[in-house]
This record gives sequence, structure tokens and C-alpha cells, in this order.
Amino acid sequence: METTARKSLDGLFNGRGVAIMGASAKKGKPGHSIVENLRAAGFTGNVYPVNAASESILGFQCYRSLEEITGRIDLVVMVLPADDCVEAARAIARRKDGKGDISAAVVVSAGFSELGTDQGRSREKALLDVLVPRGIRVVGPNCLGVMDTYSGVNTNFDIGAYRRGGLSIITQSGAFAVSYLKWAEPGRLVGLSKFVSLGNMSDVNVVELLGYLADDDRTSVIALYLEGTRQGRALVETAAHVSRKKPIVALKAGKTRIGSVAAASHTGSLAGRFEMYQGVFRQAGVVLAESVIEFYYTAAAFAKMPLPRGNSICVLTVLGGPGTLCVDELVSSGAVRLARLSEKTKSELRAILIPAANIGKPEGFIDTTPSFTEAQHREVLKIVLGDPAVSGVIYLTTPPLFMDEDALAENIIAAYESFAPEERKPLLSVIGFGSSVPRLRNRMEEAGMPTIEYPDIAAKVMINMVRYSRYKSRFDEH
Amino acid sequence: MGCHEVVQRALKAGRKLLPEHEAYGLCGEFGIPFAPARLAGNWEEARQAGEDLGFPLVLKIVSPEVVHKSDFGGVLVGITSPADLRKAYDRLLANVREKAGHVAVDGVLVQKAMPRGVEVAVGGLRDDVFGPMIMFGSGGILIEVFKDVSFRMAPFDEEEALRQIRDTKASELLAGVRGAPPCDLGTLARLIVNAGNLMCRVPELAELDFNPVLAYPDGCVVVDARMILSA
Repeated sequence: METTARKSLDGLFNGRGVAIMGASAKKGKPGHSIVENLRAAGFTGNVYPVNAASESILGFQCYRSLEEITGRIDLVVMVLPADDCVEAARAIARRKDGKGDISAAVVVSAGFSELGTDQGRSREKALLDVLVPRGIRVVGPNCLGVMDTYSGVNTNFDIGAYRRGGLSIITQSGAFAVSYLKWAEPGRLVGLSKFVSLGNMSDVNVVELLGYLADDDRTSVIALYLEGTRQGRALVETAAHVSRKKPIVALKAGKTRIGSVAAASHTGSLAGRFEMYQGVFRQAGVVLAESVIEFYYTAAAFAKMPLPRGNSICVLTVLGGPGTLCVDELVSSGAVRLARLSEKTKSELRAILIPAANIGKPEGFIDTTPSFTEAQHREVLKIVLGDPAVSGVIYLTTPPLFMDEDALAENIIAAYESFAPEERKPLLSVIGFGSSVPRLRNRMEEAGMPTIEYPDIAAKVMINMVRYSRYKSRFDEH
Repeated sequence: MGCHEVVQRALKAGRKLLPEHEAYGLCGEFGIPFAPARLAGNWEEARQAGEDLGFPLVLKIVSPEVVHKSDFGGVLVGITSPADLRKAYDRLLANVREKAGHVAVDGVLVQKAMPRGVEVAVGGLRDDVFGPMIMFGSGGILIEVFKDVSFRMAPFDEEEALRQIRDTKASELLAGVRGAPPCDLGTLARLIVNAGNLMCRVPELAELDFNPVLAYPDGCVVVDARMILSA
């Protein structure tokens, strides 16, 4: 990404002075939560709540206006009634003209172009006309703004601190992305890097953010929730380049037909917006999830697991039912095949497992039966992961109550870590009993091993990894 | 370039639909194989076209007001002799008169009937969000029922066209079912790429349908072409 473009977006995340216009002393109000969450996120820069009616909020001294703030302001958050925002923008402009600081503004407030009214649209235009010509990047309006778990910058009124990791989120629905983070939180499924809720996307847009995150060393995976953009071609071209470096996992909302009025051609009638996105995202190597849960788990898995170096998958299960559901889904995709285990692998497994175990019928499918101890898990996983014909493994279990969760976790993790990092393959674990085995899941997640509750979703995640890996390998230098 | 003149002339004449023989002309300019065909303005020209092209033949109505020819009895197949041709010629015009009324008719397209092959469809459109797009999938008249299609943003290369083909169930038909030999995917991929180039280089083209495109073990050919223009 070109330097000035990159620097202008740096201002969203690197600020050391954050002013909140519309800060509130009243708990429960967004203007209060934003201050609270900025502190909770571990921000060590200067926090300047702008509120004429209060002396201090949460221990931070209040200011009646931007003018009174002597320290440097990098980022301004606007959480004011819509009618007051344009005037607030003028105050930002005066400050910028005078002091030369302020590089970005996050407009949390609603009441702009999203209303679909002339008034809303003109209010938004007035806001931009004041800020943009001065080189101030605007996020929103009508958004949750930005988070950076490494710098501590956080304008999100719904989330304070969040565990750090390599997943960055770009979203056109703040609420949807927050749902994801909150869903993932108890199980420690996701570590967050940067978060941008774009709102009305009046200035800072999805295309430039994708380019920005491609070059961000702290982002290893980009999760994108998209409702729509007019810059479709630019989006696809940018995504195609970004995908060469790191995966973009997307969820696209809005499947309704674009309704070409009496399309004269078959092509016109068949060209639904979603169908076109499916095609162009395939073309650009973007992983397009078909459901919310697939999106959630795919992004989380990409952030934790290495990519498969082929498409041969081994399904290792303790029970037939979920194992079969998993195989059904894998095979029906056409993108993946079941691995042909070597004779060596099979005979090593036969030596460990009970005679009733099914080893390789069909090829690549192993049903250990529940007679499978914690310690045997370690040996078996090592053997299977070590077979050169295996590109990835899906392991399924519903651990019986008598099994020691900690011992089981230890053995699985030890087996996985017995391989050097550059030799490791993706291992997805389907833990059927979900939250009733929290210690098992938490330990595995902490060790970077995704635990998924659904056999069919685990299959979809693996298929996504295989497809993305195939795209990426077209561009890897050999 | 010839294609722009052809298209501009059609637009100036107030046409939205490019006459099929001119659509074939554009195909030729872009390296897209099509069935040999001649526009006949009267019976004598039709008879001569039949002689030049050889049998079997297909007859199609060419009218700016008839976009979906089959709906108006505007396509007649299985013409295997000069006598057939005479009968078909008259019947075609009568069908269209009866079902569409007094529409302007440019003539009758006398087209060589191609051997049976796997029917696929290649389409193009100019989308507001993505610009020129190409569609590929299972073809035939039931295309809008089965919807076995995939989209790509043009322009793109043959490798991408091959991937686009693999997105669809049509790829299984092309691989050969029930003992049938596989179709040549290389020439099909080239056709798809060229359709993409056509959409990109002729901005007056709003939508296009090549349906069906017949695929064979040794090549492929467009046997019906619909090109919708916009200024």
C-alpha cells in the first residue's frame, strides 16, 4: 500500500491522544461506555472526555471544548446527537487549522445517510466536507469505530478488553462483529488484532482497509462482514492481491436478486448479486462462508492452524455418527478427498487399537471406538499426523465423563507439538459435548488447537482451508 | 475496429438486439467459433444459402422485436433437404406472424445444424458493481430452472476459465458420462476468455447469451447468440 494512504489509516490505530466529544458521566450511555472501554482496553495515551457538564468522568478530567485541550489530539470520537455533529466537525476543523493535530475521526452517531433521507445524506456530506479536505480520515458515521488490541486504542462501546491475537475484523455491521467476539470469548476461540466497524462507509472504506491489513504484520487473518460496496471491481482486485499473502474469510449479507427489470438475456436473469459475489470471491481467493457459524469457526481456525499442503484429509473419530456426518460433508464438496493411509500407518494403528476398530474403511476414515485411552490418543495422533499422505486431520470425540479432560488435552497437544512448527498440519477437533467439557476445550484453544462443536462445520472449515491453500500456492515462490 | 461500427450502426437504427448474423460477426472478430450461417432476405437467398452450407440445417427468425425466438415458433430444426427447407421457410414466417403479429423481420437465418454435443452456456453482462462479468454453466432451454452457473469478472485467463468450469456441475458432463468421451476443455476455456474480452472491449454490449454452446472432444461451437446493446 502506498505510503501516504497507509499513514492516513495508521491514524486510526496509533493515536496517543483520544478526545471523546459527547462523553457522558452517566453509566450505560455510549458516551460513558466508550471512555470505560478505552481504559479497559489498556490504552496508555491521553484520554480527553469533552463534556461541558462534568468535571471528570471515570477519573479523566473533562474539557468543555477541544480548544481547552492542550495535549496532542490524534483521534476524535463523536458520540453526539446527529444534529450536533456538523458543528462538532467544525470545532475539529478549527483545531486542525490552528494546531495541526487530529488525523482521524470516528463518528459513532447515527442519523446520516443510513436514514435514506435527504436530510441524513446532506448532514453526512456536510460532515465530510469539513473534515476530509483537511486530511482527516472519517470512520462511519453510524458505527462502532475501531479497536487495536496492541496499541490499546478502542472506540467500541460494546467491548472493552479483548484477548490479543492475529485476527483482524472489517465489518459493515458493528453488532454482528461484536456478536462474533462475544461468542468466541468464553471458549477463547479468537484472539483479536484490529477491528474496524465501517458504518455508512462515507470515507474510510473496505477496499483500502483490506490493502492496509495486508501489510499489517500483526494481522494474520482478515474476517470481513460485507453488505455491499459500489467499488466491486476494486474490492475484488484488491482482495485477489491480499489473498496471496493472508486469508480473507468473508460473509456476505443481502442475497436478494438485483432484479434486472425484465432481463432480456438468460445471463441477466441468472446474475443475482450473491451468485456474482460467489464467483468473484472464488476468483480472488476469498473464503466465502455460507453461514454465520461457518464464518465464525473458519476465521478462528485460520488464525490458529497452519494451512494444509494438499487435499487429503483423514477423519479420526471415536464415534461413528458424527464421523460419518463429517465424511459426508467432506466428500460432497469435490474439493477434498479422504487420505490413503500407508500400510505402515495402518499396521501401527492396528497394534494400538482394539480389533473392533475400523481402520481405513473407507480410506482415510478411522473409527477407534470409545475404547481409546488418553495415552493412546497421543500415539495415534502422532502416527496419523506423521503419514505423508495426510494433509490434515479432523478428530471427533464426545469424551466420556470418566475420562480425564486434562490428561486428554495434554496428550492431544503433546502429539501435535511433537512435530516441528514447519511440519505441522491442520488439526480440527470436534468436541461433541461442547461446553460440558470446558477444561478440555479451553486447554486446547489456549494451545492453538481449534475445537468445533459440529462435525459438518468442521468439514466445511477444512474444505475452506484446502481451497484457500490451493489459491495461495499458485503464488508462492518455490 | 469493425465491431464498433456494426454496433454503432445498430444503435443508431434504434436497435437493442443485435441481429444474430452480426452477433456471429463479432464472435468471428474475437476468435469465438460459431456455426456457419447466412441471413436470407427472401426465399431465393434462403435456397442458395441451403445449397452453400449443406444439410442438415436450422432456420431462425431474425427480428429486432423477437428476443426469445423459441417462444414464437421462431426456430425450426431438422431440415434435411431442399424440400424441407422450402416448407420450413414458409412455416417459420407464418409462425412468427401468427404468434408475434406484424413485427419487423430482417430475414431468416439459415444455419448449419451442428452435431450433438454437450450443451453449455456462456453469458456476459455489464454489472453496476463489478463491471464486465462472464457466466458459464449448463446450457439449454432449462438453464433458468437448473441455474448451474458460475460467474467471473472479466478479463481473465484460461486457467481461471478452467476453474470457472470446475465450479459447475456441467464440468461432470464435460468430463464424459455413460461412456461418452471427455470434451476438450482447452478450446472451451479459450471461448470463455474471448467472451470476456468481447465484453471488455465493446462497451455498447450490455448483455450476451451464447446458449447453447456445443462442446465436443475436439472443440466447441456457439449455435445461438443473443447480444443486447445499450448506448
